[in-house]
Amino acid sequence: MSARASACLELEPDLIAAAIGEAPPSAAGRVRDHIDACRECRGAFERYRAIDGLVLGLRDEPVPADELEAARAGLRAKLADLRSRIVSYRVFTSPLGPILVARSEQGVTLVEYLARAGGIAVSRLRRAAEEDAMEGGAEMDALHRELTEYLGGRRKELGWPLDLRLAGSDFDRAVLQATGAVPYGAVTSYARIAADIGRPTATRAVAQALKRNPLAIAVPCHRIVGIAGDLMGYVGRRISLKQHLLGVEGVPTVEGPSDVRVARQSMYVLYPGDDEYCVPTCPSLTPARLGMATLFSSRRGVEGAGVSPCTTCRPDLHPIRR
Amino acid sequence: MAAHHAEILRYLRRVTARAAEADDLSQETFLRAYRAIGGLPPDANVRAWLFAIATNLARNHFRGESRRRAAQAAVRIAGGGGGREVAPDAETEFGEARALVDRVVMALPPKQRIAFTLRKVHDLDYPAIAESLQCSPESARANVFQALRKIRLELESQHLAGTELRR
Repeated sequence: MSARASACLELEPDLIAAAIGEAPPSAAGRVRDHIDACRECRGAFERYRAIDGLVLGLRDEPVPADELEAARAGLRAKLADLRSRIVSYRVFTSPLGPILVARSEQGVTLVEYLARAGGIAVSRLRRAAEEDAMEGGAEMDALHRELTEYLGGRRKELGWPLDLRLAGSDFDRAVLQATGAVPYGAVTSYARIAADIGRPTATRAVAQALKRNPLAIAVPCHRIVGIAGDLMGYVGRRISLKQHLLGVEGVPTVEGPSDVRVARQSMYVLYPGDDEYCVPTCPSLTPARLGMATLFSSRRGVEGAGVSPCTTCRPDLHPIRR
Repeated sequence: MAAHHAEILRYLRRVTARAAEADDLSQETFLRAYRAIGGLPPDANVRAWLFAIATNLARNHFRGESRRRAAQAAVRIAGGGGGREVAPDAETEFGEARALVDRVVMALPPKQRIAFTLRKVHDLDYPAIAESLQCSPESARANVFQALRKIRLELESQHLAGTELRR
């Protein structure tokens, strides 16, 4: 490079800007005046313009079609793989505290009470290392609205497609599916779920599986109680949450000195396999089997299960008064 | 979003010099974008945002001196006639000049190469380039001008006069 005067060097940024058409009018004017007088800068100006024209040609240089197609196919495959693994989540506020809801392409994968306002950091989503979690956007709004309506008693079904990928085992999955079949406003026992999945002696294992339930509320493990109607446990020791959820569904509970129980004397009884339902004082009932029954808080609820009033105790004529 | 894939791929091929690396980086760009798009404001400039992700990945890729040396070695090899393909009209002076520009651009420091490519090839404005490079728009512009200046000096040292460069 030849030694150019300091005035020329100082002008160079404006000169470049003018040559590539980015200079404001005042700078362009200064450059015009200068290159009229300075042959060397006029040469530089011409070369910048030429370079600019040259590099504009780079804009039209495509990636070869076959290589582009190969790259696209690679991207499509990776995105499909990501979409199948990824779950999006949001932390919702609720009367029961913060609740994290996560969903995949297949359905809702996780409904979790967060112990404190720590977001995903305290969620089991963080611990499920194989999952790729991202914060969801507006597509999660409907879930929040439905959950809020449900917790407020204005909606009886969440109706969410569920993705049981976080269930720990086939046994857990079977327990969750059987639990999902217990209707709104009804309760049954761990022992009954064990019998339903063909493992009548696995009552404790059923309770453990429900303790791991990744889909709180959506898989209504709050409707599963002890054989004598005691609420047992929920999210650790948060029995009051379970009592609250049952209360929303109209299931009456009574608080004893050491535990909380479903008020079985105030619920309609349906034994497994029966096509009639009873009041709990019906002489046709075998009291020892009560633990295996499904108990309903309302006649409408039990009749929704497709059964008729018992012809002995006539719950249609003598409904339970509370 | 995927509509920008060809352009992002073209950009990465230009700044990384190696097609296979550019492929990987472009896929990674879109995987990251896909994960993060939920948090993007609705009025965001998706194109500029994708360029910013791609730039970030490319710069991380350049970091580490050994990799950078390897890239420059590749440029030197390309300068010797192998490796990176040049335009089919490379025999003409215009083609030679363009191939020379390609080589000079590849030998620029990453920040100048990226700024130049975003501005002159992909026509991004300086605020968008600044977002990609995490610098001020003035600094983005200075990097583009530095690149142009180096291209001019290199072309002059190769005795390719300006008039010969014109179409």
